[in-house]
Amino acid sequence: MDFDIIFGNAARAGLGPQAAIFALAAIGLNLHFGYAGLLNFGQVGFMMLGAYGTAIVVATWGGSLWLGIPFGLGLCVAFALALGIPTLRLRSDYFAITTIAAAEILRLLIRSSPATDITGGPFGLQAIANSFFDLNFLPDGRFGWGTFSYSSNQLWVMIVAWILVVLCSALVLALIRSPWGRVVRAIREDEDAVLSLGKNTVAYKLQALVIGGVIGGLAGVIDALQQSGVGSENFEPQVTFFAWAALILGGLATTVGPVVGAVLFWFLREGVESFIRELSEQGWLPNALADFLDGAEGAISVVLMGVGLVALMALRPQGIFGRRRSLHLGT
Amino acid sequence: MSDATTIRPELTQAALEAAPPGRLKDDPILITFGMLKTFGGIRAVDIDHLEIERGTITAIIGPNGAGKTTLFNLLTGFDQPDRGSWRLDGRLLGGLPPHRIARLGMVRTFQLTKSLSRLTVLENMAVAAQTQRGERLERALLRWLWQPEEARLRERAQALLERFGLAHMAGDQAGTLSGGQRKLLEMARALMADPTLVMLDEPTAGVNPALTESLLEHIRELNAEGVTIVFVEHNMDVVMDISDWVVVMAAGRILTEGPPQEVVANEEVIDAYLGRPRDAADWEEAEDA
Repeated sequence: MDFDIIFGNAARAGLGPQAAIFALAAIGLNLHFGYAGLLNFGQVGFMMLGAYGTAIVVATWGGSLWLGIPFGLGLCVAFALALGIPTLRLRSDYFAITTIAAAEILRLLIRSSPATDITGGPFGLQAIANSFFDLNFLPDGRFGWGTFSYSSNQLWVMIVAWILVVLCSALVLALIRSPWGRVVRAIREDEDAVLSLGKNTVAYKLQALVIGGVIGGLAGVIDALQQSGVGSENFEPQVTFFAWAALILGGLATTVGPVVGAVLFWFLREGVESFIRELSEQGWLPNALADFLDGAEGAISVVLMGVGLVALMALRPQGIFGRRRSLHLGT
Repeated sequence: MSDATTIRPELTQAALEAAPPGRLKDDPILITFGMLKTFGGIRAVDIDHLEIERGTITAIIGPNGAGKTTLFNLLTGFDQPDRGSWRLDGRLLGGLPPHRIARLGMVRTFQLTKSLSRLTVLENMAVAAQTQRGERLERALLRWLWQPEEARLRERAQALLERFGLAHMAGDQAGTLSGGQRKLLEMARALMADPTLVMLDEPTAGVNPALTESLLEHIRELNAEGVTIVFVEHNMDVVMDISDWVVVMAAGRILTEGPPQEVVANEEVIDAYLGRPRDAADWEEAEDA
């Protein structure tokens, strides 16, 4: 049993670009749900628009990446407004249903044949991130030890992505500690009470939706950059739920919660997968079980993560960093 | 045209002259005319004409389902009437969303208290202020623009909390307060918004007698400072104690209105709402049988 390999794999995933992407998505969700009380189950839609907006400008229209990124984020703003203006006046559960449907509609549209000329349909778009990697000042080669190592380009993506994670966390923290954030948190507690105090709650919810959505869009941009391409299969609804899992794991309405949650989520997911693979390779599992698990390590890992989350909800429902006291006050 | 019709443009001279005694007020802050709200076939609120005199304490009483809370919802913009118009200080409020009406100075509380549980008591107060420009997103990150106002707000909030006996809990989350304390907080919070007219929906419901006494004291003090107060109440002792004027509603309509002593003696009100005490006559009949 080689724990170096297992731990190396887990650490690589926990600190890698994937974790940073989910951290960004979860920071956006945290603003939506943790602070503003908006049940957004369509965060993947924002990620998709960020990624595809960027890729379309570069690959389809032959534009610059530095135009593509703001275009992608602009699409996120438009999506938030289109989603929010008709639904934010409704009760929160209607909003939740709309978000999940809208994100899925968007994905199906993107991969549909009429859209193929623009989005590449089922084939996606490639070779979009050259000008991003041109900026990479790191030398070639691999960085790290054993399985815990990254290529130069991966490390470059990680540096940029984690800087964005820090900046977005700081932005959300500053917003939430401002009088604006106080109104937003008050709306989470009771919208009617805030209305009765003269605040235009719909406008605040819309603003929170846009900001959290753009942060989710940034996650999509990073995803497009690190793969130097986009594909609609990367934006299935489970992406949203993984981001939710990361957020709940870390703790709602905390600053570090979504970030630590995302790191832990990918660390555990990859760690458990590696562990199962090692177990069967070393012949420590009965043959029947090993055959059963063969090739399904990833799926089993997700199943175990699910069981772990259920246990967490039972034992520590506030997440790792959340305050239990606050949870009981929830209405 | 007389003065009476210039402040009540919706009413014809004839309707004015036909108005029941007491309905026309000398200096009305709120005038409602022809307000109708139906739920399915039920006329939940059907009021021809209602005026609230500036600077008074007006109680709205009536049996459950009389439309008192619906009337509150309509007047404060939380629900839209089928038809009708109403004016606050001469300004038409029809079609305005609730937050705009609140900003014009009519602030309400709710029958079921709405404390912002996971905000501190002080934050509950601060969020009610109308003067914090840092609440706008574009200024949220420019701390120096709102920090001075924030300090002023904290001082004002602290003073109000002091007055309502909640100062020692300023840093606690509002969800940890008792039911009575929440009622106090909700009232203090409404004051923080600097209202000219406060609408209290059952302010003493579920509050113990001692706390009720102090709540009423606060209402009186507030009124003495010039704030007009309208409240829905079932506790007749409270109504008799603090109100200057009583409006009785039944089945969506105004049954009668007048000074409290006069209203409780009204036969219709006794039948519809107060009920008859088991008086001596009943007992005599029972003994005879």
